[in-house]
Amino acid sequence: MKKVTIHTSINRKQYVLEIKPNLTLLSLLREEIGLTGTKCGCEVGECGACTVLLNGTAVNSCLVLAPQIDGQEILTVEGLAMGNQLHPLQESFLTHDAVHCGFCTPGMLMSAKDLLDHNPDPTEEEIRIAVSGNLCRCSGYQQIIDAVQNNNVPPLKG
Amino acid sequence: MKSFEYIAPREIKDVFKLLADFNKDAQILAGGTDLLIELRKPSATSPKMVVDISRLLELKGIKEFSNWVSIKPLTTHTDILQSKVIQQFAPLLRQAVSTIGSPQIRNRGTVGGNIMNAAACADTVPPLMALDAMVKLQSVEGERSVPMIDFFVKPYQTIAGKNEILTEIRFPKLPNSAQSVFIKLGRRNALAISRLSISAILQKSDTGLIQEARIVPGAAFPKWQRITEAEKLLIGQKPSKDLFAAAGEKVSEVMISFTGRRWSTEYKEPVIAVLVRRALEACQ
Repeated sequence: MKKVTIHTSINRKQYVLEIKPNLTLLSLLREEIGLTGTKCGCEVGECGACTVLLNGTAVNSCLVLAPQIDGQEILTVEGLAMGNQLHPLQESFLTHDAVHCGFCTPGMLMSAKDLLDHNPDPTEEEIRIAVSGNLCRCSGYQQIIDAVQNNNVPPLKG
Repeated sequence: MKSFEYIAPREIKDVFKLLADFNKDAQILAGGTDLLIELRKPSATSPKMVVDISRLLELKGIKEFSNWVSIKPLTTHTDILQSKVIQQFAPLLRQAVSTIGSPQIRNRGTVGGNIMNAAACADTVPPLMALDAMVKLQSVEGERSVPMIDFFVKPYQTIAGKNEILTEIRFPKLPNSAQSVFIKLGRRNALAISRLSISAILQKSDTGLIQEARIVPGAAFPKWQRITEAEKLLIGQKPSKDLFAAAGEKVSEVMISFTGRRWSTEYKEPVIAVLVRRALEACQ
């Protein structure tokens, strides 16, 4: 199996990678690059735990073949915060207790980011559709919806 | 995942050449939402060469012509959802696509992939068939256009040759006077595989009689078809609840004549009749 060379940007950092072609974007991120924030759940596109942004659009990284990101931009949950400064959405998830076990959180955040980047003031229905491909088995959906809807609320202190 | 070689041709003519050379050993990769799942199955027979067409921009986009609409195969479900042309001239296709998978799947999955994978539950196929769509296939040997109604052989099998690639889907614009609807029965709202669906188009004359009727069930037959027996019942008639109910029962009867009675028939027999009636009522 011939390796493939790809040029890609992951979390604003440029990479030139030589990879086996039979690798998903999810495995590339977690196992080759060590970005384990993106979670591996069902691996058939049903749970959304592996959601990342590909050129700003939410996709299941388990359903993208790694060589397909040649020339494309990827953003994972690790790319949301700027240094020690959490992204406002991350702050909002904390404020609203929208994180329980945390397994779905990276995917939820990326789906929510895609929504808010294209539609800064979504209705509750639009939020529900935007996260409809992300399963939360702690069933804390309401807090997640609230966190996305009130994402400008400053975090509680202390 | 089993091993394979990978190539992402820059031009479509290179795709034709690769498919001619590798034939059944080649596998086209578009959005990947079906193929990647397939390639990971332990039972999967691995292709020698995966031909990634996902970045061929000439195979992407929706275009309006005077009498018809053209959709290129790499158009994603999200592209269709956001298209004003589709909303105006094929609203039932928009409805169908809005029920496919999840936002992530719709962002990646393509209409061409949905057609070529040819699963019985493919949600873009029945609306396109109701719209009288044609598909264009191209290869090194040339091109041919086939009515979608003649395109499928059985689940997961089309008449496309191993050296051919789908390059366009086109259909006549629905007139403003036509009403169309897609309704789907799934086990939940998001990420639901169609258990049954109905695509229906009704057009009435100035006098209020039904002039044109098209009914295409999804996930109900070994291969998709228009139910002309039920369509004929409707043509020339005044719309009524009883008429629509009779059309629904006819669809149910035709379904059973094809599938026989199997474990799911007890459920599907009354349900498909009701879905047809509801779809026709929604077309009013």
